[in-house]
Amino acid sequence: MATTAEGFDIHDHGHDTHDHADHKPGFFARWFMSTNHKDIGTMYLIFAIIAGIVGGAISGIMRVELQEPGIQYLQWWAQFMGGGNDLNTALHMWNVFITAHGLIMVFFMVMPAMIGGFGNWFVPLMIGAPDMAFPRMNNVSFWLTVAGFVSLLFSLFVPGGTGPGAGTGWTVYAPLSTTGSVGPAVDFAIFSLHLAGAGSILGATNFITTIFNMRAPGMTLHKMPLFVWSVLVTAFLLLLALPVLAAAITMLLTDRNFGTTFFNPAGGGDPVLYQHLFWFFGHPEVYIMILPGFGMISQIIATFSKKPVFGYLGMAYAMVAIGVVGFIVWAHHMYTVGLDVNTKMYFTAATMVIAVPTGVKIFSWIATMWGGSLSFKSPMVWSMGFIFLFTVGGVTGVVLANGGIDDNLHDTYYVVAHFHYVLSMGAVFSMFAGFYYWFPKMSGRMHSELLSHIHFWTFFVGVNVIFFPQHFLGMQGMPRRYPDYAEAYHFWHQISSYGYYIMAGSMLFFFVNILYALLAGKKAEANPWGEGATTLEWTLPSPPPYHQFETLPVITDANDYHDHRPLTA
Amino acid sequence: MKNSILAVIAAGLAAFIPLAVPAHAVVAPTDAAAAAAGPATDALESPASAPTADAAAAETTSAYTPMKPTAGKGMPTSYEDDPMKSLTFQDQYSDNGEYALWMHDIILMPVITAISLLVLGLLLYVVFRFNRRANPVASKTTHNTMIEVVWTILPVIILVIIAVPSITLLARQYETPPANAVTIKATGYQWYWGYTYPDHGEIEVISNMLDEAAAAKSGEPHQLAVDNRMVVPAGVPLRIQTTASDVIHAFAVPSLWFKMDAVPGRLNEKLLTIKEPGVYYGQCSELCGARHGYMPIVVEALPPAEFAAWVKAQGGTMPGEEAAPAAAAAEPAAANTAG
Amino acid sequence: MAGKANHDYHILEPDIWPLIGSIAALTFTSGMVLSFHPDLFGQSGKIVAGLGLAGLIATFFMWFKNIVVEAQRGDHTPVVQLHLRYGMILFIASEVMFFVGWFWSFFDFALFPTALEYDHATGATTSLFGTEGAVAAFIPEGMEVLDPFALPLLNTLILLCSGTTVTWAHHALIHGDREGLKQGLWATVALGVLFSAIQAYEYSAAPFGFGGNTYSSAFYMATGFHGFHVLIGTIFLAVCLYRTYLGHFTPRQHFGFEAAAWYWHFVDVVWLFLFVAIYVWGGWGAEYH
Ligand code: HEA
Ligand code: HEA
Ligand code: CUA
Ligand SMILES: [Cu+2]
Repeated sequence: MATTAEGFDIHDHGHDTHDHADHKPGFFARWFMSTNHKDIGTMYLIFAIIAGIVGGAISGIMRVELQEPGIQYLQWWAQFMGGGNDLNTALHMWNVFITAHGLIMVFFMVMPAMIGGFGNWFVPLMIGAPDMAFPRMNNVSFWLTVAGFVSLLFSLFVPGGTGPGAGTGWTVYAPLSTTGSVGPAVDFAIFSLHLAGAGSILGATNFITTIFNMRAPGMTLHKMPLFVWSVLVTAFLLLLALPVLAAAITMLLTDRNFGTTFFNPAGGGDPVLYQHLFWFFGHPEVYIMILPGFGMISQIIATFSKKPVFGYLGMAYAMVAIGVVGFIVWAHHMYTVGLDVNTKMYFTAATMVIAVPTGVKIFSWIATMWGGSLSFKSPMVWSMGFIFLFTVGGVTGVVLANGGIDDNLHDTYYVVAHFHYVLSMGAVFSMFAGFYYWFPKMSGRMHSELLSHIHFWTFFVGVNVIFFPQHFLGMQGMPRRYPDYAEAYHFWHQISSYGYYIMAGSMLFFFVNILYALLAGKKAEANPWGEGATTLEWTLPSPPPYHQFETLPVITDANDYHDHRPLTA
Repeated sequence: MKNSILAVIAAGLAAFIPLAVPAHAVVAPTDAAAAAAGPATDALESPASAPTADAAAAETTSAYTPMKPTAGKGMPTSYEDDPMKSLTFQDQYSDNGEYALWMHDIILMPVITAISLLVLGLLLYVVFRFNRRANPVASKTTHNTMIEVVWTILPVIILVIIAVPSITLLARQYETPPANAVTIKATGYQWYWGYTYPDHGEIEVISNMLDEAAAAKSGEPHQLAVDNRMVVPAGVPLRIQTTASDVIHAFAVPSLWFKMDAVPGRLNEKLLTIKEPGVYYGQCSELCGARHGYMPIVVEALPPAEFAAWVKAQGGTMPGEEAAPAAAAAEPAAANTAG
Repeated sequence: MAGKANHDYHILEPDIWPLIGSIAALTFTSGMVLSFHPDLFGQSGKIVAGLGLAGLIATFFMWFKNIVVEAQRGDHTPVVQLHLRYGMILFIASEVMFFVGWFWSFFDFALFPTALEYDHATGATTSLFGTEGAVAAFIPEGMEVLDPFALPLLNTLILLCSGTTVTWAHHALIHGDREGLKQGLWATVALGVLFSAIQAYEYSAAPFGFGGNTYSSAFYMATGFHGFHVLIGTIFLAVCLYRTYLGHFTPRQHFGFEAAAWYWHFVDVVWLFLFVAIYVWGGWGAEYH
């Protein structure tokens, strides 16, 4: 069995000291032809970090531009990207940036990290399986995601309207994305979604099959760790939502290039139809981005409270409920398109329902800590930050859910603030929590607790300074997707941009921490977190052997649902 | 209240100023508009081919001059001007807006603040009460049916409390406009707005953003000011219709709690009653391409009599009136100066 | 690999085809984009897309060949077969949602039509939006549609028939009747090809072109994607037929065949919905060609 820091760090692959049972393929075969869920998970994580840096850098460009009213730097960017020197090209660049930022963060940062990265690494480990059900398909899921990213990058360098790049917003609304954007950029962007989407659909079938068929003997669904539950629900959302997006964006392509009129009123088509199709995918998508986070938070809170999760079944079925209800609320993104009053009332009511199962989760997490013996290791502080900030984002969602209220807030910075609280704080905090939780397991090295705590506090301050003032801007009427604004909005935009600098500085601690851990970190034990960490991955060495569970662990009834320690080998 | 009285007085005063000034100089904030204002001026100067009554009306024509905005009314407030006001919604000047604002301020805001603080409070409590030192031995509690029922039912009750005014608000927003409502159709173009008045002899107003210098000259907020405004009567039900000719735009005015997408191939319609005269600024609120941020909306609500005068000045007619021959010949008041 | 594994799962060797397949997919989509814009990229798009398509076909070929080899080698233990079943069912579920998208747009157009004018001579459609007194109709006044009770009905019968022949083949297989298996599969493949041929003929003879208005857009995209699935299904069945001649499949283990049959039934059911919704209901009251 491997006891050294292999598996994760690429730098020592040259050593020829592997145990026979832990034989790894050569470098090329291992990383380009992988059929190993841990290696694929690692590649997903590295990919997500790169995409996060790119997406985060683009949001930096945006925040710098918005720091002052007027157009500061877009002209320069327009020329840099090979566009002209006129104002329209500069303004187009803004739309390109927000589009790229939104798409990259959603499809190439959060989804690959949570599902591809943590899902791949820990679903098999937590259910006691040697690998995923379809290891080869697992690999194509990853490379299709990369292909999608590359297609999106292509789009930046070809014409897309009044300048290079696709400037349609991440929602790609027709007819702006059809008759409104001449040139290949939008085609590349659409195919980018096709490719990444295909990868995700294959990944979803893989996860569902793995979870249904490969649980260790004795691990019933109701004994499964909540992270696995969360990935299961997420995979169903992906499986059922993404194909509808695929159909919708295929219609965009044929409208653009083959004269169909799905969304073109000249032939009887309806631009609003696109929005229905998009949001039928898009709303489940936002839960796709948060449910795995919910799962990770459950594991972490239980671990560091030294207490089993409170209300396990309620927690599991709350996620199922969120997933199911998530499919019937999509038009709350469309309150201003001209829906009739009954439709608006229905979607108002249905949307608010989701607050109930989400509340069950929030309160159950707190109840898990209640009576526990809490130790505030880095994953725990990120999780507690998550609970608070996600609640703030969630309750502003409930404000937006009211169709009559949303009439004023729709497409303003209030919405931007809402979804960054649930994404850039909710999803991202849970990702960092998960990262610090499992990094020792994945790499075999301990990170610095000090650096992670500094990272947490500075990041916490930074993102709140960025996004809290955006509520004010939104209520005052500041529309989203604007590179320029009235003087009255100056102050809060400026504060928001200052927050970005704090946040950016904070990320340095993250990167330094990873480097430190990989180069000089203490070796991690099998279970560095102590008695609270009871799921199966902690029974394996850190990092786990190349092929784990060659003999399946057996889960017996004597164990509590959250205590999956194998009794026999 | 004080503001509104001031606004009425200001509006009233403004109506008299132009009598002393040559018509075209007043009507025209920009050169383009000045050129376009020509026909109306011609109508005024043309020999009495129009009935005297109309001539009198035409007299008031010259009475229209863009209303001076009131600081802090119908526009965003900066932090420097009023820190408190910069944190929340703009003051509302429609009934539905006031109701919605009430609902937000009295119901939603306290509820979400309370929930957030509750969660924060609970977190802080467990941090202090149940940290490793304070509570070395963890309990093994995993269930408490009572508390689980409570935290399921309580949110349901809160949501029902929210839903009642929410549904009421929706019902109000969707009241059918009365038959005598004034119809105005706003059409979004890349990247300007066109306003037509089907009840008033198909007047058409083309509205472009003023550049920074022009906005400064007219004393209006930069990025929000336009050359030709959408002029409407105050206190009268308006049937606002929106559509678009190229891509989706959205007609939005925050201080009226009004936002409706302008979708090509669709005609959206909604009731709006503006409570008092004033200048209300808004912006296009659906991504529509490069100049999405450069197609603001200005609604100028006038007392009905002045609105009628404005209509005449644009060469339109009030419902039930015959078109004045001279006016009928008049071109739309302003030319499209897109670009 | 994993010589001492004490479980029945299938731990795979590293494989290059996922990477090649993804590169091919990116090449194909990029080539398509280039070909959409000949004004910018000339004819290069066709070449690039062709290369990508070749790569994709090669990938599919090698991928499924590997699966067949592994199956013959005995890697497909009962639990792995169960995986395959789940995988196929889930894949079909996602396909169903894909068609939901097309049906959604079809019903949107059919139930909330706008007013259109159709020029019979040129086949051009103009919108009457905003025109006083214009009557909304899904199928623009003057446009002819296909008579559902002519060739489409025949196609319906063909597909239904093929559903029975594939079941015939399946039963033959289960009862060890190899000849019956071959005959049933031959019949199914032949019916599939016949369906595609008739569909191709219908397209070529259709009284309306691709695009231009919502009816023709929804019609061609929905039936076209169905046709594409028929093609895939036919190939899938043909592969099974070929494997039968190679002596593959046993009465107890033949998931490759079953997957093809499931897929074929799925394609069949989609057609029934298309036939009822688009051909019969959608064209109701319009003039037939
Ligand atoms: C992770 C992603 C995520 C999550 C989890 C959510 C969660 C929610 N969202 Fe959000 N949303 C987005 C991402 C997300 N959203 C994005 C990206 C957009 C913009 C897309 C775009 O246009 O680009 C958006 C936009 C958006 C809109 C459209 C706004 C507009 O464009 O005008 C609406 C409207 O209803 C909405 C509502 C909600 C609601 C009700 C929830 C609920 O699920 C929240 C539930 C949670 C809580 C309520 C907090 C915890 C609960 C308790 C403590 C119990 C007690 C609470 C009560 C009784 C209220 N969201
Ligand atoms: C997950 C999604 C996500 C995330 C994390 C972010 C993060 C940020 N966003 Fe983003 N944003 C969107 C999704 C996201 N955004 C979407 C969908 C839109 C709408 C686009 C549209 O209108 O079409 C948008 C729009 C948007 C706007 C509005 C633009 C406009 O309307 O004109 C602004 C403006 O300030 C903004 C700013 C920022 C900033 C400063 C951050 C900062 O928080 C960024 C800091 C960076 C990080 C927090 C990432 C760090 C993570 C890693 C490095 C990976 C780590 C990996 C592991 C641990 C495995 N964003
Ligand atoms: Cu017009 Cu945005
Ligand atoms: Cu939503």
